[in-house]
Amino acid sequence: MKRFPRSLGFEKYSGVYLWAAFIAVFSVLSPNLFASMVTVHSVAAGKAVSAILALAIVVPLVCGVYDLSVGANINFTTIVVVKAVAGGLSVPLAIVLGLAVGAGIGVVNGFIVVKLKVNSFITTLGTASIIAALQVIVTDNRQPLPPSLPAWRSLTQTKVFGFQIIVVYLLLIAVVLWWALTHTPFGRYLYAIGGSPEAAKLSGVNVDMYTWLSLIVSGALCGLAGVFYGSIAGPSLSFGASLLLPAFAAVFLGSTQITPGRFNVWGSVLAIYVLATGVKGLQLLTDVQWLDPMFSGVALVAAVAIANGRQRSGEERRRRRRSAERIEPASPVGPTG
Amino acid sequence: MGRGLTTGRRSVQDARALRKTFAGGLALDGVDLRIGAGEIHALLGENGSGKSTLIKIVSGYHRPDPGSVVDLGGECLHFGDPASSARLGARFVHQDLGLVETSSILDNLAVVVGFPTRFGTIRRGAARELTRSALRRVELELDPDVLISALSPAQKTGVAVARALLPVDGREARLLVLDEPTARLPEQEVARLLSLVRAVAANGVGVLYVTHRLDEVFDVAETASVLRDGRKVFEGPVASLSRESLLGHLFGSAIEKVNRHDASVSGDVVLDVRSVGSEYLANVSFTVRQGEVVGVAGITGSGRDALCATLFGARPRDTGEVRVGGHVLRAGRPSAAMERGVAFVPAERKIQGAFLGLTARENISIGDLPRFWRLPFLRRKAETAAVAGWFERFDIRPGFGTDRLVSTFSGGNQQKIVFGKWFQRGPAVFLLDEPTQGVDVGAKGELHRCLADAAVNGAAVLMSSSDTDELTTACSRVIVLRNGAVVADLSGDAITPREIARAALGIGLDTGLDIGFGDPTHQPFAHESRTSAQ
Repeated sequence: MKRFPRSLGFEKYSGVYLWAAFIAVFSVLSPNLFASMVTVHSVAAGKAVSAILALAIVVPLVCGVYDLSVGANINFTTIVVVKAVAGGLSVPLAIVLGLAVGAGIGVVNGFIVVKLKVNSFITTLGTASIIAALQVIVTDNRQPLPPSLPAWRSLTQTKVFGFQIIVVYLLLIAVVLWWALTHTPFGRYLYAIGGSPEAAKLSGVNVDMYTWLSLIVSGALCGLAGVFYGSIAGPSLSFGASLLLPAFAAVFLGSTQITPGRFNVWGSVLAIYVLATGVKGLQLLTDVQWLDPMFSGVALVAAVAIANGRQRSGEERRRRRRSAERIEPASPVGPTG
Repeated sequence: MGRGLTTGRRSVQDARALRKTFAGGLALDGVDLRIGAGEIHALLGENGSGKSTLIKIVSGYHRPDPGSVVDLGGECLHFGDPASSARLGARFVHQDLGLVETSSILDNLAVVVGFPTRFGTIRRGAARELTRSALRRVELELDPDVLISALSPAQKTGVAVARALLPVDGREARLLVLDEPTARLPEQEVARLLSLVRAVAANGVGVLYVTHRLDEVFDVAETASVLRDGRKVFEGPVASLSRESLLGHLFGSAIEKVNRHDASVSGDVVLDVRSVGSEYLANVSFTVRQGEVVGVAGITGSGRDALCATLFGARPRDTGEVRVGGHVLRAGRPSAAMERGVAFVPAERKIQGAFLGLTARENISIGDLPRFWRLPFLRRKAETAAVAGWFERFDIRPGFGTDRLVSTFSGGNQQKIVFGKWFQRGPAVFLLDEPTQGVDVGAKGELHRCLADAAVNGAAVLMSSSDTDELTTACSRVIVLRNGAVVADLSGDAITPREIARAALGIGLDTGLDIGFGDPTHQPFAHESRTSAQ
């Protein structure tokens, strides 16, 4: 089989090519609706919260920990913050509240994973359900009214070059996380723990602390995303759950991009927008409703299949190379020394 | 007892002229081995003597060189075909018993022979009866529904033996190979296992018993064979052997390679171990000085493989004290040990030593990241330069591979990368567990040189190894563990494979040493079994 030349970076940037293909095809098929700045702005802002949520799960995933409570977390913080703002809380304090609630959930998750040694998958599956119950206790299952405060809406909806400002927030968060994960010891330690917790511990890495910290970061980001969601879309009792799987799909798909084989920030953001572009284009053409879950599901499974396939073929290449090396020098070393 | 007994019996295994060549050299050189029905035949030999190669040929795993023949109960073994070996009645119980701990005895047995069923439903009663009768063959009276995890180590081995003896395709077991069955058994359990082995033999099954423990040879075996450097150097009745003569067969002549290390090192004591005790260690005390390379020897189960990890804090330490440069180390805290300048290279490179999915650069710098950290970035250039320096110093290949994943490197180069991680920190104490396991001969020498250099530069090096050859060539002192305790502290000319074995196997010093045996050889294939397994 002919390989794509590495200089084109097909392995690393296939998502970018796919994105370009989507844009080209849909622009031709739907020149009026798809190929407009309105669409660009609406996709960019509409997926910003999803993207922040995806970044939230990247952090613990890097160190091998799943946070399945992000959906419940973002929903809960949205409700709590909206209620507080409606009750008179200022916007800056609302952000602090959102961060605190989200980080608090992260602290609890971390405690259970690190101190009680419960598998993170189980832990966050359980806490997600507990948070959902708390939400019912707080709301009594009645959707709170969106705050009328203008500053609340303008927190995310102020226009910057035609984009809603939430897109800028997303970029800022992505830059900070990219920096933290790839250019600081913190990030190195997280990747090391994800590679082998035992080896990390024996290399002096404080595995427990960093694992815990990763869950707190993830929780805090959810809280922040919750504030943004409340501002841009208003409160809803049930949106969180539907964001969970797309976020995971994007992160796993993202791990095949940019730095293949690693969960990474830009790959995840790229994946969110590639999928969103495809869904948007098809929606404009066909007007069907099932595209979003279909794309997410396919993307999640395909991403993991691709990653596994690459790993296997890499191992096979190395095995062949070693076997070739062994055969070539014809090396029955005699019983010397 | 004696030769007459065994030769008179129907043979269950008759191996003739077994030869096996690996890329590294000759592992087996024309070995014959015959085992009679009901005979317990001990197979002895140092690491790399060819024992495991021989077993793997009989089990159908390795194909020997042309000309070799293995006759199992009158039929020829198809080489390289494990199914053929099982069909002809050869059964194997390895050190790792291969039992599912969380399942019952019955389920563990049924995995092999299948459950008796009626209309697709398991007939529980019949299955229990089958299990009980299988257990009775090894004189175990156990409830078939008991979980494996609830059994004692000897009982577990018994269940593994019972399972191995089950008929395959209606063919009964005729030869049972036990590969170091007592290596991980506590002392008091050994006797129970040996009586079980006798019961198996009494049923007419030939037993090939591989062990490092000489006591057991004299206790249970009728006949013994000794392999050395791929050749059979002794076969005969155990009754004709003494411990001393057995040792002679194992190690050959008393002429040994001269230890090239200067024993008169007089640096400060850096590592001070006082009465350390744990699950595996009993009151271990010793010191290591600056400039010393101290080896740790001992058979499997002696505590050798636990010592370095326990000192470092990677395994629990229950009693005693470890001091590094006068500072007491807290038990169970690797990071505390690292702060005092201790480095630890674990035996399980792929799980505990290296991060296979990260690059070589990340692997080497992980232990010393603050050095490269100047807000706001890790200094990539400085890091790459430092890593390239270790690549050059340790001759890690490919030399341009600093940003390649560690999994793409060969075993020897992977270990050099792990070494690089620790050397980067400039440790005062090196603790190494099997430092050259799975490493080719060239890299092995280089790794030893690195450690010798570190010692010359003032570090204290402690290295435990199951490879006696490695200990004799690389160490200036060797301490020997047995049953968790230090039983010998050898230095200078006393560091010979023979002295190490004498202490590790617990043979008294009062018996004469000066018996000449065969020609002066050592073990050029000390790594045969490991490298071939890669």
